[in-house]
Amino acid sequence: MKRLFISLIIFSLFSLFIVSCYYDNEEALYPTINSSCDTTNVTYSGTIAPILNNSCLGCHSNPATGGSILLTTYAEVVASAPRITGSIKQLSGYSAMPKNSGKLKSCSITQWEIWVRKGMLNN
Amino acid sequence: MRRLTLTFLLSLLAVGIFAQDDLMNILDQNAPKEINYTTATFKSTRVMNGHSIERMPAGQLDVRISHRFGTLNSGAYNFFGLDQSNIHLSMEYGIFNWLMIGVGRGSYEKTFDGFAKFSILRQSTGLKEMPVSLSVVTSAALKSIKFADQTRTNYFTSRMAYVAQILVARKISEGFSIQLTPSYVHRNLVATELDPNDVYAIGAGARLKLTRRISLNGEYYYVANPKTYLSQQIYNPLSVGFDIETGGHVFQLFFTNSLGMIEKAFIGETTTSWAKGGIHFGFNISRVFTLKKPNKV
Repeated sequence: MKRLFISLIIFSLFSLFIVSCYYDNEEALYPTINSSCDTTNVTYSGTIAPILNNSCLGCHSNPATGGSILLTTYAEVVASAPRITGSIKQLSGYSAMPKNSGKLKSCSITQWEIWVRKGMLNN
Repeated sequence: MRRLTLTFLLSLLAVGIFAQDDLMNILDQNAPKEINYTTATFKSTRVMNGHSIERMPAGQLDVRISHRFGTLNSGAYNFFGLDQSNIHLSMEYGIFNWLMIGVGRGSYEKTFDGFAKFSILRQSTGLKEMPVSLSVVTSAALKSIKFADQTRTNYFTSRMAYVAQILVARKISEGFSIQLTPSYVHRNLVATELDPNDVYAIGAGARLKLTRRISLNGEYYYVANPKTYLSQQIYNPLSVGFDIETGGHVFQLFFTNSLGMIEKAFIGETTTSWAKGGIHFGFNISRVFTLKKPNKV
């Protein structure tokens, strides 16, 4: 009886979590932000800097946490660009980035490559 | 006269031996049959990444430290991945002999997690015949890494993911055990409409005992959802390695293609493949502390 009682308590505790089940996806939840992958208007200030800010600068703004690779300014990003490409695409021979989470969204990687191919403009 | 007595005594002894034989038979027939529970189906509470049928007995605390290093194909400059490491720490405790709970924290997506494992059936022979052991694992994970986009309205619930698993295991012989693990993973928030919120998978694990202290383990999860058109290519996690028991510790050393160490992460978010060299070296260290002396039955 005691066993049943305790089981019920624990199951109900877990069901508290289950009640908070959502079926969200970022496209539907944030339609204006994530509607599609913009590959035409790729700029440093409008596209690349926000990606770096959200996914890289947590570590790469400080030499101690960033392994002496800094990505805070345009010049620093250009200097590290070949290594960034290898790392975010997680190619063999490069240290896979970002370190504490999954790969960047394929949209962000595509935008990065477009920016590099267009000559890494400071726009 | 003396000789006669000796013969008599000897014959008595012989009768005695026969009688004893009969008594043993009677004892065998009358002794209550016991339930012989199968023990040590697996060495540790994990097969490799995923849960095994084993649980902590009441009053025992398992402190686990796990690492997954970078991929082998990251080259000699990164020491084949060993320069990079992901860690998962957890404390797991047996409340009753049929229930264990655990809490943990992993560096992958800065995730906090908790689980409960209920033992429902135990493989046994003798008085009660039970061909398999069966347990249920439920777990919840809270991803605490900052959202990529801080400007939008982010919800707390978007950080949560839940897992339910049924573990069915059988120790086939002294040295060989298998386990099947139907699993269900729910993610509250996924990247695109094509990414499933619900992931269904079936896991298979096996243990082959090589020596008294070392066993060869393998584990594979087949993810049933279609793996095309996702925002991120995922693969089925496969792990192969060894369990090494040294007194109070169990070391599990293995190769796996998944970076995550909790169900939610390795079932739904394994992004590297064995075929492309995306293999991580990993280990789990388990140390068990007895907090409460077990009650003698």
